[in-house]
Amino acid sequence: MNSARTMADLGPVRPPTLYQRIFSVWLRHVRVYTRHLISNGFPPFVEPLIFLAGIGLGLGSYVGLIDGKTYIMFLASGIIVPPAMFTATFECTFGTFIRLEFDKVYDGMISASLTVKDMFIGEILFAGTKGFFFSCAVLTVIAGFGLVESGMAVFTPFIGFITGLMFAALALFVTSFVKNINHFNFFFTGVVTPMFFFSGIVFPLDNLPEFARWIAALFPLMHAVRLVRAFCFNSFDPGLFFNLAYMIIFIALFGSMAIKRLKKRIVN
Amino acid sequence: MKELAIKAKNVHKTYGNLTAVNNLSFDVPRGICFGFLGPNGAGKTTMMKMLFGKAERDSVQGGEVSVFGYDPKESALEIKFFTGIVSQEDNLDQELSVIQNLMIYSKFYALPAKQARIFIQNVLAFMELSDKKDAPIRQLSGGMKRRLLIARALINNPKLLILDEPTTGLDPQVRHMIWDKLRDLKKQGVTILLTTHYMEEAFQICDDLIIMNKGEKVMQGPPAYLIDKHIETYVLELLHTGDKTCDAKDAVRTEFMNNRMLLYADDFEIIKQISDQFKAGDFILRQSNLEDVFLKITGRKLHE
Repeated sequence: MNSARTMADLGPVRPPTLYQRIFSVWLRHVRVYTRHLISNGFPPFVEPLIFLAGIGLGLGSYVGLIDGKTYIMFLASGIIVPPAMFTATFECTFGTFIRLEFDKVYDGMISASLTVKDMFIGEILFAGTKGFFFSCAVLTVIAGFGLVESGMAVFTPFIGFITGLMFAALALFVTSFVKNINHFNFFFTGVVTPMFFFSGIVFPLDNLPEFARWIAALFPLMHAVRLVRAFCFNSFDPGLFFNLAYMIIFIALFGSMAIKRLKKRIVN
Repeated sequence: MKELAIKAKNVHKTYGNLTAVNNLSFDVPRGICFGFLGPNGAGKTTMMKMLFGKAERDSVQGGEVSVFGYDPKESALEIKFFTGIVSQEDNLDQELSVIQNLMIYSKFYALPAKQARIFIQNVLAFMELSDKKDAPIRQLSGGMKRRLLIARALINNPKLLILDEPTTGLDPQVRHMIWDKLRDLKKQGVTILLTTHYMEEAFQICDDLIIMNKGEKVMQGPPAYLIDKHIETYVLELLHTGDKTCDAKDAVRTEFMNNRMLLYADDFEIIKQISDQFKAGDFILRQSNLEDVFLKITGRKLHE
């Protein structure tokens, strides 16, 4: 495709580059999100407090050490990435569906010099950015309570970013099937909620029966939690490369399938 | 031959068993306003969408489409770069204000911010929306939203403007304003494509138009030519005739619609004489218009 080809009175036809297009989509989402910065930015700081108080303090006094850590330390490290999962999932299920079916935002965007692929890569990256921001918020709170023991923890928001990408890709894939907004309930109740409880956040997976551990290993969140804990406690093992690889393959696989399916819905 | 903006040849588009566009061919010279007329479901919008890749023509025997030399199948991005698109539905970003909508949209074309601000000021002034620039979309009336959609489509200084029913549902003031603006744009050399089912609109602003029905081109030509060629000059509409019909002379063509009877003739005297048999209020005697051509061609029955 020769994009710099010129026509008699058309002037040079040079559409924006891939990078510019994806960035513009990302920027659209950032603009919309930051319009309500207080109401959007507040929850990620408060939710970890509720968690630490509600489960950490309450349950923590009945639980002994886990892998040599107090329960509240164990829990604090676990809750860095779930908000990234939840925010990316909401963004790319309900958010995407509303943009697709109700507000027709994509129809407006696709009329400019963007492709469907640009729109959804930009959207996945935005969800990742939110994941990064949410993980930062949690990290700030738990650090404020002295629940971070290793300086390596500063890298955990990057895992929040990858977590955001991963769940955005999965959520877009789910959304590509959904015709009625209420159908998301199945996804939340059937997948997202169990994933939260069986990914080693509130309790370690080691004591689960073997089949349950295998199921947990399929859950993308478990891999993110393992990586985050490694950074929080500065204890790394070669298995982490497998966790990282799982996440990257997951993003590529579900992301590309989602974009393919959503393209069919937008271009007819 | 004048250089073409758009060339479409034997275009086919099917959705499953439904043929939306059937063997449609047309040429649009640069710098004119070209209209698609037709009842709902005639394939107008589908044809428009195929020009910028929002819909794809059939992969087998779909025909050929060229927009300023680019095929939308491969180069939709290039086409959209120099085209402004106003869709039927309001697809403004509800979450943002007027100016934010335009700022973000300018980013989709990678316009530098400084240049974008000047362009935005210009398009807002052109569409007479300057004093609404900070308003949230929710506060805009239907007419303002449509004007903003047009302003947004102009932000990339398009060579081609595609409008899908630009004035549907708007009040007469806004409608005339939009027509004037489209005429201005045409004078500036922008090629304009629009769909409409307002005959008045087509008559007012289109230099050339296609009447479509069931995915096919039924006729093509400048509006005045179509009227001249396809319909008698005068119409006598007899209202609530009921069972009572009028004895039409041979020189008069008659049509029935519900309980109305329509008599067409080129000779004014003939239908004037017929109308004399009726009392005022029971008939309308007028010149024929594009709507008469349209109804004659596409039939008077509902299409839905």
